Formats: sequence, C-alpha cells, structure tokens
Amino acid sequence: MREIRYLDAMNEALAEEMARDERVFVIGEDVQAGTFGVTSRLVQHFGPDRVIDTPLSETAVAGSCLGAAMAGYRPVGDFMFADFIYIAANEIMINTAKWRFAHGGRVTLPLVYLAAMGGGARNGPEHSQSPEATIMHTPGLKLAVPSTPYDAKGLLKSAIRDDNPVVFFYHKRLLGLRGDVPQEEYTIPLGVADVKRAGDDVTVVATGQMVHQALAVAAEIENAVSLEVIDPRSLEPLDIETIVASVKKTGRLVVMDEDTRRCGVGAEIVMQVIEHCFDSLDAPPQRLGAANLPIPGGYTERHVLPQPPDLRAAIEAVIGQPLPA
Amino acid sequence: MSLTNEQLTTLYTNLVRARRMDEKLVQGLADGKTVSFFHSGQGEEAVGVGGCTFLRPDDYVYYHHRGHGLAHIISKGGSPKEFIAEHYGKATGSCGGIGAIHSVDPALGILGFSGTIGSAFPVSLGWGLAAKKNGRQQVTVCFFGDGASNRGTLHEAMNMAAVMKLPIVWVCHNNLYAQYMPLRDAFPSEDITSLAVPFRMPAESVDGQDVVAVHEAVQTAVARARAGEGPSLVECKTYRYRAHAEGVPDIAHYEPRPESEIEAWKKRDPVILFGQRLMEDGVLTRGDLDRIEAEAASEMDAAERFAADSPSPDAAILEHMLYSD
Repeated sequence: MREIRYLDAMNEALAEEMARDERVFVIGEDVQAGTFGVTSRLVQHFGPDRVIDTPLSETAVAGSCLGAAMAGYRPVGDFMFADFIYIAANEIMINTAKWRFAHGGRVTLPLVYLAAMGGGARNGPEHSQSPEATIMHTPGLKLAVPSTPYDAKGLLKSAIRDDNPVVFFYHKRLLGLRGDVPQEEYTIPLGVADVKRAGDDVTVVATGQMVHQALAVAAEIENAVSLEVIDPRSLEPLDIETIVASVKKTGRLVVMDEDTRRCGVGAEIVMQVIEHCFDSLDAPPQRLGAANLPIPGGYTERHVLPQPPDLRAAIEAVIGQPLPA
Repeated sequence: MSLTNEQLTTLYTNLVRARRMDEKLVQGLADGKTVSFFHSGQGEEAVGVGGCTFLRPDDYVYYHHRGHGLAHIISKGGSPKEFIAEHYGKATGSCGGIGAIHSVDPALGILGFSGTIGSAFPVSLGWGLAAKKNGRQQVTVCFFGDGASNRGTLHEAMNMAAVMKLPIVWVCHNNLYAQYMPLRDAFPSEDITSLAVPFRMPAESVDGQDVVAVHEAVQTAVARARAGEGPSLVECKTYRYRAHAEGVPDIAHYEPRPESEIEAWKKRDPVILFGQRLMEDGVLTRGDLDRIEAEAASEMDAAERFAADSPSPDAAILEHMLYSD
C-alpha cells in the first residue's frame, strides 16, 4: 500500500468529495494557499468559486457555511486554528448546533468545520488548544479527531457526506505523519472506535497526537504491561461500546487527551465507563489532559500538556506497581 | 414601479392582518397561552409588510424579532395558524411546537432565525452566497434592528457581502431603541445608512411608517441584487408602541420613554396612514376598509382557535430533532 502524509490524505478527501458532489465547496481564510496545506491546490482544480478565500472574518465564515448549508450546499469551512472557533462561538455553538432543532427538524445542515488543534508547537495559549470537550458538550455538533492519515481521509469523506454539522479537528503536529492510505475509495463512519493496539492489562483511550504517545509507551513497556490503545476517532458520536468491552477485559482504564482536564474528555469517558461497567474496574480510572492552566508558549508548554512520563505514572497508578525504567 | 390598485390593497390587507395578529399574541401572553416571551411589533408593521409582500416565493427572508417576524412571514405567504400555534407551543406549529419564538417554512424561503441578536448578518450572508452560486437570481432580504447594528457580525457580513457582490438587501428597523438603550447613546449618528459608506453600497433611508416607501426602497435594492450588482442597505425609521417585550418596563435606560414621543409616533400609525391615503386616492372606500378589517379579524380569530385547540407535541420527538438521519 502507498504511504502518504496526513495532510495529503485530507487534501485527497476534499478533492475527491468536491469532484463527487458539486455542492461541496471550501471557504475560509487563505484556503486557496492552505495555511497548513490541507486545502492547497484545490483552487487550481476547482476554481475560486469553490475554494473561497474570505476576509479575516470568522463569524462570516461560519455564517456562510450555516446559511449555504440550509440553502442546499455542502460547505467545508476552515478556521485555521481550533482556538478560533471561539471567535465564531455564537455561529457555531448556538446557531449551527441548535438551528435544526429550534426549527423542528425542518432544515438540514450538511457542513464541516475544519480546524487544526493541539499543542506541541510551542505556539502559546491562543494557538495550541484542543477544544474537544467544548464541542462534545454542545448538543447538535458531531466531532471527529483523526490520529492517522488513513483515519483522516476516511473520516473527512464521511463528515462531508453527513447531513449534519461535523467539527473536524485535525492535529497540527500530525500533518507530516506518513501512513498507509489505499488508492481505492473508502470511508470511515463516525462513531466507530479503532483499536490501535490490542492488549490485556490496561485500556488506554487517547485522541489525536496522544494516540501516538500511547502507542510509544505501549511499545516501551510491552514486556511488563500489555496496553490496549483505543482511538475513538470521533467523540460525538462516541463508540462507548468498544471502550467498555475493552475495560471489561482489562479492568483498568486511562484516558489521555490534550484538552483541559477539568470537565474534559477524560472526565466524560471515565464517567460513561463507570455507568456501564463499574464492577469491571479493578482500580480507579485515571485521566490525563492539559493542566487547568492556559497552554503557555515556549518550552514551558510541556509542563501543561500531557507527556509520556505522565502516562507511565497513570499506568503505574492503575496497576498498583512501578513500571520498569 | 407604480403599484396597481390590487397590489395596494394587498399591502393594506397585510398591514391590517399583521396588526390583528400581533394583538392576538399579546393577548395570548396575557391569557397564559403564548408560552414564551413576545416582542410586539405593533407600530413597525410597514417594514415587514412593505419589505416582503412582493418578493419572489423563493427569495430568502431573515425575519426580524419584532413581532417575531409575523409581519414579514405572513407577507411572504406564511401561515398565521402555524405561527400562532408555534407560539402556543403546539404540535401544529411550524417548528412542531418546540421552537416557540421561531418560525420556518422552507418552501417560502423562510429558513428560520436565531434568538441571538446579530446572528442575522452571517446567516444571511450564507443564504446570499448560496443564491449567487446557484444562479437562480434569488435574493436574500435580511431584517435587523438598530440594536443589532452595534454587533461586530454586521461588519464581517456586510463587508464580505460587498466584496463578493452577493444578492442581499439589508433592511434595518430603526426603532430608536435596543431594549432600553436609546440609539443616541449607542451609535454616533442618527442614520444607520452611514454604515453603508465603508462597504461602498447604496443606502436609502425611508419613512418606515409608509408601507409604499418601504416597498419601493426594498424593491429597488432587490432589483439591483437580482441583476448581480450586489448588496444594498435600506433603513426604515420606525417605532415600537409597546415595551421591548411583554411584561418588561417600557423605559429608556431606567426611566419611562417620553409620552410625547410615543404619542407623536402613534399619530403616524402605518395602518391608519395607509388606509386614509387609499381612501383619498380613491383606491378603497370606507366600506372596503371595514370589510378588510372584518376579514382580518375573522382570519386571526380562526388562527387563534386553531392554535388553542391543537395538541401539544409529544416530548419523544425531541430526540429525533437534533440530527438528520
């Protein structure tokens, strides 16, 4: 199978879906050039009417998508950084999320909001967030968070074909990651988790870049502890069944994501596991996320965002013994 | 674009219908039948009636929160029965009784509105973008208030619409107050049209109590938009007779609005003014006005009874409203 980069996988998904359905268009700031490369070269194929560069106006980008979606198009709005969704919070969290519901289900909103999340680039508090929990907390928005090129392409194609609003957070530190992506057409449904590594002793649920940290730690300690690494791939809908099945096998759970730990993705997933299979738990679950602080710029970032040693410590806590050095 | 006697009669009929309908909703609130709040539009009917009566059925209208858009909606062909039933929280309402203040009628280009002021601009931008893309010469008419003109969303959307030459007519109900805030303390000009200057679009300020003046200004802008010449702004100077919402004090800042101001505006009532003019011009007789009045009263009585007699929605529908399957 061929290997391509995560960003190229997303670019392929956009190009294929734009070719497949002329109602699909891309709109946002500098999407013709593509700030992260995800939307690059589309304008040469599809023209400026379908790859629309906008003024610096996030609420106008979101409103354009929302309005055009209910008027028969399938827009993909790009917000550059996930942090910037807060600028258009009224348009996204109130209007996009609630419009269909508030109007008795009589409008459909087939749209995608794309944005790059995640730290690790030392970009500071306004360019490093992963507002997964914010979206997950808002009824009416679906949320995809791919960790591999294969998942990024398949999920993005599904998101574009979905008749509902899908927020699609790709990770800025994974853009250059290479991985197997078949030439042939495929999609990955939202709401289906992927077991990235099978194991028996501890279930680790991780998203985005944290999936790769978990896989690295799993490899380091494989002779001592067998980790099962699960990537939910979408947080709404959330495939809790796959997670619960794993916890019933391992009896131990660690959740790791980059959003703020307080009221975060880990809090939600741990609680859902408790509701489903409390009796299967052999140790209190652990959650890893960003400390309850803004994400600092520069090299202090690593003290706020979860790191591999934090995962090792969480694993030690759930197994009740130290890991080999 | 002089109007035929039949068209003039239609405008007058819609004014009377809107007034009677607004009175029903005010009374409905007093009687405990109108389930949510109500922001009466009495005094401002000529804006919605003049702006919407002669639009194309497929033109998009972002209705205004005064009267929750009743004047705009019934002038576009919408159903008073569904509107009142929605406000009564009934299953026969246009949003199935769960939208309350919202109305929707996709076949008439009425795709809904948001309860957050200033949402009008970005969403209308999206409708305008869709209309430009589909090439069907549809126009979007976006109604907003002087209060909404203080929102930053206006800048983003009006700017982008102007740059992209979108077929949008921005129509301001300038009623001099944003809830309790007088325009004189919220905006450094008496004229909302001054906002059109940086966006290089035509703007016209008209007497919002004169339904024909509103009609002509909006239709001039509509023709321009339909011809691909881009957006325009129409300001309608008007006034609300009642408090911002039923049950709240009728004040400017913290003191009562001046009686003299209210009385002066009531002397220029849009329904009475137009009826007198039609009699003076020999278009309608006193008997015609009485007949129109009686028919409107009868229509709204029947709509109110329909709403009152309709069943409440089953809460089980809520789960199915969020997403399109």
